[in-house]
Amino acid sequence: MTGIPYTWDEGLIILASVFVLLIIVIIISVIKKIGIGKEFTLAIFKGGGQLFLVALFLTLLFNYELWYLLIWILIGTMILVSGYTSAKRAGKMPKAYLITTPSILTGATLALSVLALSRAMPMQPQFIIPLSGMAFGNAMAICSISLERLIREIILNRTSIETMLSLGANSKQALSEISRITIKASLIPNIDSLKTLGFIFIPGAMAGLLIAGTDPLVAAEYQIIVYLMIIGGGLTTSMLVHYFSRKHIFTNAEQLQPWIEN
Amino acid sequence: MNILTLKNINKQIKSKKILNDITLNIPKGSIVALIGPSGSGKTTLLRCINRLIEIDNGSIIYNNQNISNIHPITLRKEIGFVHQDSVMLPGTVYDNISYGLQLQNIVNDELIKSSMKHAGIDEKYLTQDASTLSGGEKKRVALARAIALKPTILLLDEPTSGVDPKNIKTVEQNIISFTKTLVLTVLWVTHNIEQAKRVATHIANLKDGYIQNFSKTNHFVWEGAY
Repeated sequence: MTGIPYTWDEGLIILASVFVLLIIVIIISVIKKIGIGKEFTLAIFKGGGQLFLVALFLTLLFNYELWYLLIWILIGTMILVSGYTSAKRAGKMPKAYLITTPSILTGATLALSVLALSRAMPMQPQFIIPLSGMAFGNAMAICSISLERLIREIILNRTSIETMLSLGANSKQALSEISRITIKASLIPNIDSLKTLGFIFIPGAMAGLLIAGTDPLVAAEYQIIVYLMIIGGGLTTSMLVHYFSRKHIFTNAEQLQPWIEN
Repeated sequence: MNILTLKNINKQIKSKKILNDITLNIPKGSIVALIGPSGSGKTTLLRCINRLIEIDNGSIIYNNQNISNIHPITLRKEIGFVHQDSVMLPGTVYDNISYGLQLQNIVNDELIKSSMKHAGIDEKYLTQDASTLSGGEKKRVALARAIALKPTILLLDEPTSGVDPKNIKTVEQNIISFTKTLVLTVLWVTHNIEQAKRVATHIANLKDGYIQNFSKTNHFVWEGAY
């Protein structure tokens, strides 16, 4: 047996029964005044609605002869949305999307290119779409952590940075310790996930392959390949965030930019 | 002969005028005390001279050269700056004092030891973690760190703040002594008028971003100053 053992109609009945359980939980949260009832309900409908829209889009895509055109539109949207979302973490830094967008694009593209060239990602929409989502999603998360932490550390350590500049350091030297700490911190969620892979949770790609009936060993091997590439892309993203940020943090005269001063 | 000349300097930060038409001639080998109340622009002036921030207009002439034409890294090696918060960089006292020298690949242990001696720090502190030092010890390490680079001008922002009161005069004497030995020119920001009288050859009184008075210490008109 492979795949999910019921039809779409039967699935709706199962979904309805799951909803009954959720409604009970929401009622309890309202009675207990936990204060998440409204947000929780909205999140369920929003998340569920989004997933159904994606499903409709994929149904269209899988049956469309020019599917690769739609994929380009989808990836383009991923690039813009992830760059813009991540840039919002930059606080007062002006034009932060000029850092986030190329960093995420390069990191995710690198990961996807290696997967494609190694044939781990066949050029078919059912592979390209989920793996692109994973690569861009992870690069965006790492980019956001990296940028937010970098700016926080700079503001906290302004005097220390200016002390180094006064002692003849250039911007790269003055930022080296903070960069090291921040890049490491941005990868902690990925490294922790890697450490507990299969132990605390079975990740998405492997879970999907297992449900589809793939041999567990092959599924695990595939998941590791995907995960390592995605972490590699994330590390690239994090390093690029630091590289591109330098011009936004320092002036050409090796001074902190006025937006940090103020 | 003037080693540093400030001509009609203006600086505005966040729509507030911090420095207004500042003009000063700093003679070579002098110790100029910059006195004035908090927020009068003393630290901003030092930061402009060290090019940590740019002036809006006017000019700063160092050794007959406009500092805007000198690469900031070169300038900062010649015009040292000891910040008010003497932040210790990660590592030992040795790592801190040799920091600027390491950047230039010219680490010289004799120079480090002589800088420590000038700043009044015992060599036994060399291997100590700098973050564990007292406020006064950190000030001395910051002084040694700056003079190890052999600057010609030293900008000192409240160099005795955080120093144990009984050691303040010793630190003052150390600075006066190495200023003479190393043929330095010093701009010394202080709130303490008595200290300015003790250490300075010249005094500049800064108030609301304007220079109110600038003269030799023995000619300085104290009435209404600060």
